[in-house]
Amino acid sequence: MDVEQAARDLRNRTLSDIPRSLDRLIYLASMRDYNTGLYYHDGLASRFTQEVACEALAQCHREAFTQLVGCSLRDLVGQMEGYIDSTHTSPRDFVAAWKKLEPYRVAVPVETDPVSAQLLFSSFKIALAILETRLPSVLAQSSA
Amino acid sequence: MISLIFFLAIGALLFLSLFLLARRKPRAEGSSGALVEARQALTALQDGLLPAALVRRVFAKEDWEYVRSEAPKAVRELFVDERRSLAILWLTQVRAQIRSLGRFHRGTARHYANLNPRLELRLAVSFAALTGACSVLQVLVYVGGPYVAPRMVGAVAGALQGACKISEESLAFLNAARLGTLAGATRS
Repeated sequence: MDVEQAARDLRNRTLSDIPRSLDRLIYLASMRDYNTGLYYHDGLASRFTQEVACEALAQCHREAFTQLVGCSLRDLVGQMEGYIDSTHTSPRDFVAAWKKLEPYRVAVPVETDPVSAQLLFSSFKIALAILETRLPSVLAQSSA
Repeated sequence: MISLIFFLAIGALLFLSLFLLARRKPRAEGSSGALVEARQALTALQDGLLPAALVRRVFAKEDWEYVRSEAPKAVRELFVDERRSLAILWLTQVRAQIRSLGRFHRGTARHYANLNPRLELRLAVSFAALTGACSVLQVLVYVGGPYVAPRMVGAVAGALQGACKISEESLAFLNAARLGTLAGATRS
């Protein structure tokens, strides 16, 4: 019950300001300690307990992942364009870094089934390839 | 006379073997392991591999139409390769879980599950047919790509959901608490 309340609190106070599921996935994955797999959020832990906050974050992380896996490729490419804009990074640098580092691989929740994880990785790979083909036109627009 | 003693001895040996076989109890450790494995296979199928949203996305033709209209040839080729691998991964996982569940129903279910022989036979035939269908689909997808047989994919997923439901009813007695106990016993 507490976990449900904490998850609702997280959705209302924080996640409602993050409209794209890609951004939510990355945000929630960044709340996780890579050494322990536990999630930390000081504000949520102060209103509830550390354990409850951790479980609520994990639940919202799974939701964001499920939403993103359910997106069409067109939608994912659109979300990535929006995300690149929001980071104020050069699209060329962003695409190069994501192709090389594949940071999305560490953004999936634990105990995700391998097919869903692979579907998302594969979609990211294709989306990056599509975005890469659009780079020259982006550059041409900016120099015009 | 010697041959009579010889045949009597063989008869006694056979009788003894039959008696010992009939008295043999299934090994608790192996049986609980099989139960846990069956429950895990069922969960993997129902929650992980068979949800309609996932199947739809893996085989979504709208993604292909988007790539075909928006991307150059190299990206189109990448897309087909990626989706082919993904479809084969899905089929491989589905096939592995069906085999695991089928093994349980062939070997161990009768000791635990509340199944009648007709239902057991129906499940055995379903699992065998579905394993075969997955193998055929794997070849088709490998040769013709991920969109080669959408109806067959839908039919396999639908039939498998039905078989899982029957299997689930037969495993209903194995609730979460009991499963935890058995998993613990298997590990120790």
